[in-house]
Order: sequence, then structure tokens, then C-alpha cells
Amino acid sequence: MKLLTANNTKMAIHAVQQSHWRSLLTMLGVIIGIASVVTIVGLGEGIKHQIVGQINNLGNNLITVRPGSTQTNTTTGALSFLNVFAGLNDSDLLNIHDVQTIQQTPGVRTAVPMSIIAGPIQANKQIYDTIPVIGSTSDISAALNQTLQYGAFYSSNDNISDSAVLGQNVANELFPGISALGHSIKFHNINFVVLGVLNQFDIAPLSIDADFNNVIFIPYSTAQQIDPNGASLYEILVKPTSPSSTNSVKTKIQNNLLAAHHGEQNFSVFTQTDELAAANHILNLLTDLIGAIAAISLLVGGIGIMNVMLVAVTERTQEIGIRKALGATNRQIVNQFLTEAVVISTYGGVIGIIVSALINLGLRIVTNLQPTLSWQVILLATGVSVVVGIIFGITPAVKAARKDPIDALRYQ
Amino acid sequence: MHDVSKLYGFGDATTLALDEINLSVMEGEFIAVMGPSGSGKSTLMNIIGLLDRPTFGTYMLSNRSVAKLRPNQRARNRRDKIGFVFQSYNLLPNLTVIENVALPLVYKGMSTVRRLKLAGAMLERIGLEDRQYFMPRQLSGGQTQSVAIARALINNPTIIIADEPTGNLDSDSSLVIMELLSEIHAMGTTILLVTHNSELTRYATRVVFMSDGAIVHDEPTKLGEIAPNFRSIIYGLAIKTEEDDLAGVSALMKAIPGIKSQPAKRKNKAKWGKSKKLTRKQL
Repeated sequence: MKLLTANNTKMAIHAVQQSHWRSLLTMLGVIIGIASVVTIVGLGEGIKHQIVGQINNLGNNLITVRPGSTQTNTTTGALSFLNVFAGLNDSDLLNIHDVQTIQQTPGVRTAVPMSIIAGPIQANKQIYDTIPVIGSTSDISAALNQTLQYGAFYSSNDNISDSAVLGQNVANELFPGISALGHSIKFHNINFVVLGVLNQFDIAPLSIDADFNNVIFIPYSTAQQIDPNGASLYEILVKPTSPSSTNSVKTKIQNNLLAAHHGEQNFSVFTQTDELAAANHILNLLTDLIGAIAAISLLVGGIGIMNVMLVAVTERTQEIGIRKALGATNRQIVNQFLTEAVVISTYGGVIGIIVSALINLGLRIVTNLQPTLSWQVILLATGVSVVVGIIFGITPAVKAARKDPIDALRYQ
Repeated sequence: MHDVSKLYGFGDATTLALDEINLSVMEGEFIAVMGPSGSGKSTLMNIIGLLDRPTFGTYMLSNRSVAKLRPNQRARNRRDKIGFVFQSYNLLPNLTVIENVALPLVYKGMSTVRRLKLAGAMLERIGLEDRQYFMPRQLSGGQTQSVAIARALINNPTIIIADEPTGNLDSDSSLVIMELLSEIHAMGTTILLVTHNSELTRYATRVVFMSDGAIVHDEPTKLGEIAPNFRSIIYGLAIKTEEDDLAGVSALMKAIPGIKSQPAKRKNKAKWGKSKKLTRKQL
């Protein structure tokens, strides 16, 4: 049986190669199904990996406070969803008093206000409309666990209100090919002098944090002067005194802010672990969705294989008759046609994996996503292809085996 | 084979293809089975070759009743004991010559190396060792049929069933094929040859003549000679219409050895085909 299977496999591969267009069209459903599953799983794994990397970079003791109730919890209390956009338009939900409240919370080392100020930037005689400007204190550098590539961060002690620190992408965009240090940028009619440029942040996809490589930091006190609304906060970053106390500090901040907001839960407090859980949740939803699409695709692909195999059985009726006349048993005929279906399906799976690898490569080149392709996923995808081949190949194979040898030999 | 009958269809559409056939085939015989189209020759061969089952009667192969054999047991018996040679060759077009010859060995579970070695030796035996990796479409009719014979022989069967093996061949190729079958017979293999060509009975040790599903004549012959009573059997055939009568006389004249045997065969076929329609029993 082993030898027969090897022989059947060889013949099936030969058959697939001979009618390559028909085979390719037959495999299309399996290719799409496998490619989408492998890509999304690889994407998910890559994003998780990136988020973990970001947490390691930012420090897993970073606590974030956002306006609005941005999180949804499951019945067991676990964080199930973070709506990162909720509260961003509610400009007055968090303010500097909340920063002070947090700062006074036991176990908090530093609380950093983050305020986005809208407006165009002028630099090098050019105007840029899309670069976010964040008003924050000098503690931001420590809170984000980030150092400067060159220059220095503004300090509250320096009393320099018109200084700015650039994210690396912004520095490259505004001052291409030259050092941004010492140059000025104009924002709301104030000339800010570039004091420093930050090192590159590893910002993971699906992260709720802004991409700090693309922002300009200005002192929060200056932001307050520019913004007529008093520079309302879109975020407060908190660092506890000790990493081990992150969760307890989070709870205390939650309670203190709730008291300060007169019991109204119009803010959210979460840690990096919560962020990972939320990202996982989003990825799981995405995986379920793509999984459903892939399942439909595999079903359609399987039906395609079954259809083509049924046609092949009819086309090759005489061959079946000849094989039976030469002594092939029904089981051997089943084995032959089943092997062909499995080979077609497996081919589809392998092509799907290759397509997925190419998509992953493209995503790595074009975006900051870093999808991965693990051997477990490759094995699983191949296994699924084989199973699809078996499930959808069995009916045509049995039909072939049941053919009467006399009728089959006479078939033209 | 005792009182073997084969019926097709049911009700008013029932056709009697074989009518209580009694036939014993001894090991090493070369039997030429003749008869008009529709006389039941192929049905008889299919039953002997275990491709079909009789409706009634007993068929013993190697002193064992095959009636109760399961499909897989029948397949194994076909594989090990019987070799088929068809009129239309029936080689698999997508396999090379050597792969076609080796195909029955696949179902024995033999390794690729071993079966290709055996197939190569078999092709050498029939003089086609230089065509091993040709595709069937690249061969002449005679070569293709030789390959089919090699395939039938590869399992060392006890019986070779050759159903009009020269039907699609010219006289030269026919001669080659018949000589090949004759050699195989000389080595002790039983051969059942279905033919319309009386000339080929020279190779047989026994001639069986069938008509309307029954064996109407069965006689031993000497190798190299046409069956002595063959002509009288043909002359004794019922002629049903005037048109058949005229066509039949013409065909029989041409069937006489020495008077363009090849076209005569075709004429005979045509005539017998017509007779069959008129004389076939309907149940």
C-alpha cells in the first residue's frame, strides 16, 4: 500500500503538472483560504511580538490614563476591548488638575500630561498641516523610556517656553539631510527652537499610543498658552515608583480620579499589559473573521476539487476499466483518486503558504508590520490542505472504484 | 464452465447474451473463438476473465468456483491469473511504454525498481527494448499491441484473453502479433483468442464457433491448419433476407483463403452484424 501510494502520488503530481491551468484554477479556493489564514495568523503573531517589544521598550510599568470610558470588560472583569478613540473628542474630560491628583497618589513617581495642539507648522519656509504637536512636560522622556539621538530635552528648570523636541521622522521630514538642532519651527506664531531629536520609537501596530516618531513635543506650559481651552489632555502617562506596584497604583489612580470626577467614570486607566490584552482581543476578533472567510474559501475550494475530480473520474472511465482489468482492486482505485485529490489540495496549500510568505514580505517592506511565518503554522496549513483533499476527494474516489469494469472499458 | 447464461436488461428488454454455455478449457490450449458480432464471444471472454459474472451457471477457474468471490478477490485473480489483450490496445496514454507494461505489477505492491526491471526484460523479450520510454502514441499499431501483450504477460498469467488483437492491424502487424501469441502459447500459457479472421485459426489448437449466445461448434485443430469444419459451419449459417443472401455469398467467396483475406474479414463482419440483429433471441 505504501508503494502504491508513492506511485499514485507520483502519477498525481504528473497529472497536476500536465494540466497546470486546470489544476491551478481547481486549487484557487484552497490557495486563497490557506493564504488568508497563514497571513492573518502570521500578522497576529507579528503584531503581538511587536507589542511585547514596545512594552519592553516603554517599560511594562507605564500606566496610561485616557478621557472617556475607553475600555470594555468581560463579565469576569477581564479587559475585552479598548476603544482608543473614545474620549479623544471630549476635550475637557481630563485636565491638569487630574495630573495633580495622580501625582499626589501614593506610589506615583511621575505623571506626564499629554495635550495635542492643532495647527500648521512652518519650517524651512514650508508649511506642514499634518504633524501633531504634543504639549508635555520634560518628564515625557523618562515616562517613555526614551533617550535623545542628539541635543537635549527641554526642562522645566530651564524656563525655555519656546523650545521643541522632534520625533525622528519629523526631524527627517522638516530638515532632510541636515541636523535639526538649533533650527526653528513656527507654530501658532511662536518660533520654537529645536533642542533635540528623539531616538526611534518602536511603535507596534494596533498600539493605542501615538507614533511618537511623527510628533513634535513642546512644553506643556506653552501649549496651555496657545490653546484657548487650556490645553485639555488626551492622555496622562504615569510611572509608578516601583514596577511591581503598577497594578496597585493603577487601582489607586482609578479610585482617586473617580473621587475627583465625583464618581463619574469618564476616564480609563490601563497598563501596558491591558494594552496587550486589548490588542490580543482585536487580533482574535480579526482571526475569527478571517478564519470564517478562510473556512468558506476552503469549502468552496474543496467543492472545486470535488467537482474537478468527478469530471476526471468521468473522463478517465476507460482508464479505470483498464486498471480494473489489470487487477486493480476497488481500494486501490479509491487510493489513486484520493491521492490525486490530496495532491491537488496540498499543492494549493503549499502555493497558499508561498503566497502568504510573499504578502508578509510585501507588508514588511511597505508597512511597519512585521508578520511572522512559523513552522507550526506551515505544518497546520499543510495538514488542513490534506484534510480538505481527503474530505472532498473521497466521493469521486469511491465513485471511480464503484464503476463496473465492463462498462468502464466500453466507455468512449 | 457449466450451463453458463448471461442476461442483460430486464422485463421485455431482456437480452440473452450467453445461452447455457458449457465449455472446458485445458491448460496450454490455444482456443480461437469465432462467430458473428453479437454472438456472445466478448461476453464469454469477460466472464472467463472475471470482468463479468454469469447470471446462471457455474464457472470454475483452476478448479475453484468463482461465483462467491468478492470484488477484490476477483481483482486479485485477474491480476495473477489472467492477462488481457484488447482490440483497441488500451494502453494508458499518459504513461510510457515501460510504465504501461509494469502497471499490473503496481497492484502487486512491487517496488518501482523491480517492476521496471521486469517490464524492461519483458519488452526485450518482444523486441521493443528500444521503445521503453516512448509514449504509446509514438508507436505503430503493431508495436502498441505488442506492448499490450507484454503488459498481459508481465504477471505470468495462466490465461491470456485476446479479444480481436489483430482487429485494428494490417496483415504484417497481425502476423507479428500472432507469432508472438504463438510463442507465448508454446511456453505453456493458455490462450483464448477472439477473432473474425479464419486465417488465424492456424495458430489455434481448438476452434469454438459461437452464434446467438451459444457454442454451435467446437473442434480441435492442428497447428498451422485452418479448422477443417470451419467452412461448413459458415455455410450452415441461417441467412434471413435476400439482401443478406447476396451479401453473404459475396462475403463468403472473399473469405476463402487465397482470395484477399483482409477485405473478406470486413465483409464477413458486416454480414454477420446484420444477421445478428435479425436472429438474436429476445426474452
